[in-house]
Amino acid sequence: MLFRKMRRDLMKNKTQFISIFLMSFLGMLVFVGMDSESAGAGAAAAAYYKQYNLCDIWIAGAGFSDDDIRTAKKVSGVTDVEKRLVLTGTAEKYDNAYMYVNFMDTNRINSLMLYDGVPYEAEADGVWLEEWFARTNGIKIGDTFTVKIDSTKIDATVKGIVDAPDYVYFVSESDVMYPNYKKTGLAFMSSSMFPDSAHIVYNQLLVDVRDGLDDDAHISSIKEKLEKAFDREDIAVTDRNQNLSYATFDAEVKQHSAMGIMFAVVFLAIALLGIVTTMARVTAGQRTQIGTMKALGFSKTTITLHYISYGFVISAMGCITGAWVGYATMPPWILGMFTGSYLVPDLKGKITTLDITATLIAIAVATLVSFLSCRKELKDPPAITLKPPAPKKIRHSGLEKSRLWLCLDFATQWNIRDVLRNKMRSLMGILGVMGCAMLLICGFGCFDSINGLMGKMYGELMTASNKILLSADAGSGYAYDLSEKYRGQLIMETSVEFVSEKAKKSGTATIIDKGNFVHIQDRDLNPVKLDKGGIAMTNKMATLLELDEGDFVKWHLVGDDKWQYTRIAQIYRDPSIQGITMYRSVFEDMEYKFRPTAVLTNMSVDPSLSDADEVSTVMNVADMKASFAETMEMMNAMVYIMVVAAVLLGVVVLYNLGVLSFVEKTREVATLKVLGFNSGRIRNILQKQNIWLTVIGIAVGLYAGWAMLYVICTTVSETLDMYPIISGPTYAYSILGTFLVSVSVNFMFSGKVRTIDMVDALKGVE
Amino acid sequence: MFGKKKEQSEAEDLEIIDLDEESGGAGKVLIEFKDVCKKYVQGEHEFYALKDANLTINEGEMVVILGPSGAGKSTLLNLLGGMDSASSGHILFDGDDLTEYTDNRLTKYRAENVGVVFQFYNLIPTLTAYENVALMKDIKNGTSDPAEALADVGLADHMHQFPSQMSGGEQQRTSIARAIAKNPRLLLCDEPTGALDTETGRDVLKLLQDMSRKKKRTVVMVTHNSFFADIADTVIRVKNGGIQSVVHNDEPKDASEVTW
Repeated sequence: MLFRKMRRDLMKNKTQFISIFLMSFLGMLVFVGMDSESAGAGAAAAAYYKQYNLCDIWIAGAGFSDDDIRTAKKVSGVTDVEKRLVLTGTAEKYDNAYMYVNFMDTNRINSLMLYDGVPYEAEADGVWLEEWFARTNGIKIGDTFTVKIDSTKIDATVKGIVDAPDYVYFVSESDVMYPNYKKTGLAFMSSSMFPDSAHIVYNQLLVDVRDGLDDDAHISSIKEKLEKAFDREDIAVTDRNQNLSYATFDAEVKQHSAMGIMFAVVFLAIALLGIVTTMARVTAGQRTQIGTMKALGFSKTTITLHYISYGFVISAMGCITGAWVGYATMPPWILGMFTGSYLVPDLKGKITTLDITATLIAIAVATLVSFLSCRKELKDPPAITLKPPAPKKIRHSGLEKSRLWLCLDFATQWNIRDVLRNKMRSLMGILGVMGCAMLLICGFGCFDSINGLMGKMYGELMTASNKILLSADAGSGYAYDLSEKYRGQLIMETSVEFVSEKAKKSGTATIIDKGNFVHIQDRDLNPVKLDKGGIAMTNKMATLLELDEGDFVKWHLVGDDKWQYTRIAQIYRDPSIQGITMYRSVFEDMEYKFRPTAVLTNMSVDPSLSDADEVSTVMNVADMKASFAETMEMMNAMVYIMVVAAVLLGVVVLYNLGVLSFVEKTREVATLKVLGFNSGRIRNILQKQNIWLTVIGIAVGLYAGWAMLYVICTTVSETLDMYPIISGPTYAYSILGTFLVSVSVNFMFSGKVRTIDMVDALKGVE
Repeated sequence: MFGKKKEQSEAEDLEIIDLDEESGGAGKVLIEFKDVCKKYVQGEHEFYALKDANLTINEGEMVVILGPSGAGKSTLLNLLGGMDSASSGHILFDGDDLTEYTDNRLTKYRAENVGVVFQFYNLIPTLTAYENVALMKDIKNGTSDPAEALADVGLADHMHQFPSQMSGGEQQRTSIARAIAKNPRLLLCDEPTGALDTETGRDVLKLLQDMSRKKKRTVVMVTHNSFFADIADTVIRVKNGGIQSVVHNDEPKDASEVTW
């Protein structure tokens, strides 16, 4: 019978219970959705890495031979070593696609995963191409594929379509930071295909360590041993965490899981608040019924169980369906967007124990909260509970005692008292509005920040309209001629490795020649002049290395064994390229040769120029911006989630609140009506309070939104230095949007004022 | 409850009439109050809702507790029903001391021995008449069939209505059906006709009297209406927190003869 009572009580208070259901549903949907997505992505990658034996340690350098393989194999813990020559080239036929060409012998480490064709074999003829690249460019098995490395062309028959575990993420020089796998490809060939195969010089050793030894401490001890064994300054020994492909994917997965938790906490916290207020009201409203049940001889336990079952049933329904729907919809959606960025096969969601635990905990907490809210009515003996509750003890607040109080009009006085005496309800209202404003600000702020980033990159920091990327076989003479012809500025961009006491990071060194297309900005984003005599380091890199202006940094050019120990003369900020910038003269003073890699110009460039052997690509600003915007799809998805969540949150919380306060105020409102207040005036009184709470909620929400945006911007990735930017229109939309939600929900309730029947509402309280 | 403080001194003027236990009761003693006090403390103030109450109630009797508002009759009823605990003294039910019961034991006592009829019926609004009565099956074994209990109070045709669809009299009869379905040894009624018109009220009284006369249940009814004294076997008058008098009626009137 009590079950029937519960069912009917739930029906009677359905709006509130539906809102609790929705909140717990949304909370778990987002949490489990994001978590199963990131867990699934992580698990898929782990399985992929294991099955295709992703390399544990890379040794990069020049001129590795079989002797070096033997040296590496002698190190204890090392089980297998292979050598590779990795070069970059272009596939002219496919829009000058940027190619990573891997020459190898055996393929036990970083084995290729075959989609089509025949498996790779050492000494075999032909080429194995990356699947995305082949598919999007319409390349089939049996086609002849030509890749140009420097000035040498290699023709090979396509033997297989593959993917490789060490290349789940890669970018070409011309992709700013997001991959484009149609324009960037992978080619794998046997060393015998190398034009001068007798004199092939390998530049990579792939090291595999014994299974079960792959935790960080073991890996770093083996790394140290390898460094000692080789005792060469010109090699770099790196592990998976320093590998771009591995680390980028790993960071992406971790970030998703963090975002999921952040969203879920917001929703679940509000769901719990909803349960507290609703259950407190339901049990308070059923005080006499509780007293009756006690008098009839129901035990406290039975009654308690009965009331906590309300919270339990609703939150269990909400949490479980939310978790299920989240698992069913979010991973396919988000992982679907992953596929353009990460080449990991079999990406699908995975339910983790954390998901199950979190669901159970959410239900348990909701149940506990409903227990706490009905406990109050249960502690007295039935004789007390049967009587209506003693009126709340009300003290006059300081404000009410002051002289100012008398100057306030009735509506203000009434509302101040109402807010102060229903603190929990008011707090919940503020939190709901806050959550709504916060998510809107943060969501639109993401767009602003991305736009700001692009504006900065292509408007303030790099003011040229075209960038001509030179290929490796362009001599300096050619570069100077080009620069003269287009009145351009020469720059050199090259990879650098930095070492501080705290960390080792790789980045980019930008060396600039005469010209006015490259600008830098200090930490506060004010334009500054680049120090003529020293090097400037990006803020993000300095933070990662835990260094500051005036400190010394140890660095070397990748592929060059000469280490530099240089004082950081200046700190600047760059949104997308982390590393150092210096003038050509500074670079040459260190006895390096300035080899330009690009020409920046404001003049229009003849499109046929990109056909020249010496030029790899010509990019204009519009192309760069467009391809950048296209790759921010993931961010856009996040923004959509946030905006939809914001509106839902606002509506659900405020609606629930509206029901609550309206029911509580019915008698007061009826009294006002009897006294002769007209409905319009009463509505204004009610709306007034709502506006106060909304204004406070928005004010707090603006700050919270900024904080959330700041967290997202600073954690987004190691190479992106995003600044949280919130534009005027964002403020306007967010404030107006929140206001609209709040006022319209409230309007629905205040509209009911007219329908309150004075006689009915004032008839005796039972 | 609120008029209590000013009349504290009058408590001493109580006139005890006919406390002779042997002269009245038909059956054996079911309930005995020994020096029972109920004290409320509010900040520095304390007052007695009931002070040094002594009385006995015999099994199968129809007892009316009479007194003005705030005299302490509801307190008496609450203590009888185990719905509140005494501050001092002893309350014996069939020889067991209720004041020594734990909360759980008291709950069990209510569930097994006591049926309560409230002034405002106190039905569960979301359950039908039948379900309200059937609810008792959840707390006690051996309850009567809900349909039978409802038929007994003349509600066979309204069994599946919700309280809001029934008149006051029907609701009160449902409430009585709920109380008697448990087959309690003690049926407590708190102003059972207080919210009813005379005609309906008389029906309810008749029903209660029948419980005592035909089914040999002990019925204790609290009221401020002194006309009801006529139908009781025993009338206990309460004033200012004390027992003023206990009178045994040798020939109680039939409920249908009472008017007010």
